[in-house]
Amino acid sequence: MSDAAAAPAPHDLCGDHAAAGLADAQVLAALRGMIQARAVDDRLWLLSRQGKAHFVITSAGHEATQFGCALAVHAGRDYVVPYYRDMALAMALGQTPLEIFLHALGRAADPSSGGRQMFGHFNSRALRIVSGSSSVGSHPLHAVGLAWAFRITKERGLAAMTLFGEGATAEGAWHEAISFAGIHQLPVVFVCENNQYAISVPQAREVPVPDVAAKAAGYGMPGVIVDGNDLFAVYAAARQAMERARAGGGPTLLECKTYRLRPHSNADDDRKYRGEDEVSAWRARDPITRLERYALAAELIDQTGVAELRQAVAAEVEQAIDQAERAPAPAVETLFDHLYGAGEPSSDQ
Amino acid sequence: MPQRNMIEAIRSALADEMAADERVFVLGEDVGVKGGVFLATDGLLARFGEDRVVDTPIAEAGIVGVAIGASLHGLRPVAEIQFADYIHPAIDQILNEAARFRYRSNGDWHCPIVVRAPFGAGVHGALYHSQSTEALFTSTPGLKVLAPSTPYDAKGLLIAAIRDPDPVVFFEHKQLYRGAREEVPDGSYTVPIGRAALRRPGNDISLFTYGLMAHHSLAAAEELAREGVDVEVIDLRTLYPLDHAAILESVRKTGKALIVHEDKLTGGLGGEVGALIAEHAFEYLDAPVRRLASPDVHAVAFSDVLEAHFMLNPAKIAAAIRDLAAY
Repeated sequence: MSDAAAAPAPHDLCGDHAAAGLADAQVLAALRGMIQARAVDDRLWLLSRQGKAHFVITSAGHEATQFGCALAVHAGRDYVVPYYRDMALAMALGQTPLEIFLHALGRAADPSSGGRQMFGHFNSRALRIVSGSSSVGSHPLHAVGLAWAFRITKERGLAAMTLFGEGATAEGAWHEAISFAGIHQLPVVFVCENNQYAISVPQAREVPVPDVAAKAAGYGMPGVIVDGNDLFAVYAAARQAMERARAGGGPTLLECKTYRLRPHSNADDDRKYRGEDEVSAWRARDPITRLERYALAAELIDQTGVAELRQAVAAEVEQAIDQAERAPAPAVETLFDHLYGAGEPSSDQ
Repeated sequence: MPQRNMIEAIRSALADEMAADERVFVLGEDVGVKGGVFLATDGLLARFGEDRVVDTPIAEAGIVGVAIGASLHGLRPVAEIQFADYIHPAIDQILNEAARFRYRSNGDWHCPIVVRAPFGAGVHGALYHSQSTEALFTSTPGLKVLAPSTPYDAKGLLIAAIRDPDPVVFFEHKQLYRGAREEVPDGSYTVPIGRAALRRPGNDISLFTYGLMAHHSLAAAEELAREGVDVEVIDLRTLYPLDHAAILESVRKTGKALIVHEDKLTGGLGGEVGALIAEHAFEYLDAPVRRLASPDVHAVAFSDVLEAHFMLNPAKIAAAIRDLAAY
């Protein structure tokens, strides 16, 4: 990866967007979406400090990885099985700032869980974003099971994408998932958002090799490494992997090297385990800044346009918060809803 | 009508449901070519092909997790855990994932899977082929936990479980697999989930049980009948959610309750049944609620002598009934 701070070049993304297969409008939409996701993230931390959001978990720094992957998904057709870091991904797939805030504030209209799950458990059956637990590494198996279902129903041209941090690749269930997918060459793309820390534990203490992608070799699939802060690099690799999967070519392990720019959650103090120098160096490689610099250099937008865009996003986000704060909490009677399907006996009848 | 033992009844249920519904498939260790270590899936591979009869790696979390994923796309997976003793690696998938999918997504998804697991001792299985693990699952809303005691119920409950919109853990007692045959119809029928079965009406003592112990309890009840004690035997069949009405109705009639299970005493289902009776039928009781269960040691030592000492049997149950009757 080139060092953005030292680079005199107008931008440091891999190639140009046309070569990556993106139209001008897609780049601008991604830039807008990433700025919006960061703005939502910023405001969530404020809501946490105000005591309005009890739990916040960040996607800041992961936006290029998540938007690059989302662009490779046929939203609403391919399944996406995400983890708690994937707010920007959920937004890239179609969740709105209002929906994100309804989830964060535990409101009745929270589309992810109706106020049941703490923030970070993004879900939408309509978008085929699959609900997850908080257990790390338990969910890739569900992507594998979905892919097995396509085999039985004989549906072609479909794939499942599952995302996780490098910490999850230590879990047994992760290995069981990737092993099953490799044995049967199922249409699953395993995306590792490697931000180098499992909360406080550095990669060297959680992964025995420098690259998570190296693990793919033991499971009969290619392992691909990309700069996770480069939208074009992520998109090109994710698209290739998804197209291969849809065409029956089997699974891929895609490792996106990135960095979390905030603490793990509002309950975490990252100064205990990483230095300010390290965080600053990664701030200089902020994926949004890098994409913005590219868009300016490629004359897809000018400085005025960027300023207007940021202003418009800020206004949208404030409006969404306002609306979410006024939205009603779930009715207490709903505590008992959805334990079982309709008409099924409950244990306390 | 054909006579079937329990393993034949289970095989018949799987074959009938797979023939009737293309969404149904089975997966597990050795379920394909070998037909399962107990032959529950024997013949299914030849009939339905390897996409629907899936030999998996030795990875229990994987078996259940893959089943969950497939169910999200509308399929009806039946996962086999080779022995209930090996269900522990899959507990995260069963309790944290399958049981909570509907609730945590506010009804957006549901997870219609069945997890079959042979359980129970008395077959020289030692510590890791003998366990009763049902109590690990009988306190999690969203799950249903079944344990049939007869071939007829095994087929009817398994079909009900496969058609159920929620996850079901289905325990099959190994000693019953090749036990007595009874009439089990060809073709599909269901036995309702959530309903206990009255196996023997009686007026003096209510005995609540399930699995292999239903048979031992009936034998003990016949012995006590000759001594003038009239025992009502209720086979719970569904361990969660419990059939509260059937339990309370019986104990309100007899005034005495004995719960018999092969699982350990502490933390076993008997505690829950006893608490239910204490809370809702206390004023009907003529004696303390009694539990007869396996001792609080691990099921079960390999030695014939130790195994026999561990196991409940009709004589031990008869002694417990006699004791309660005399109270």
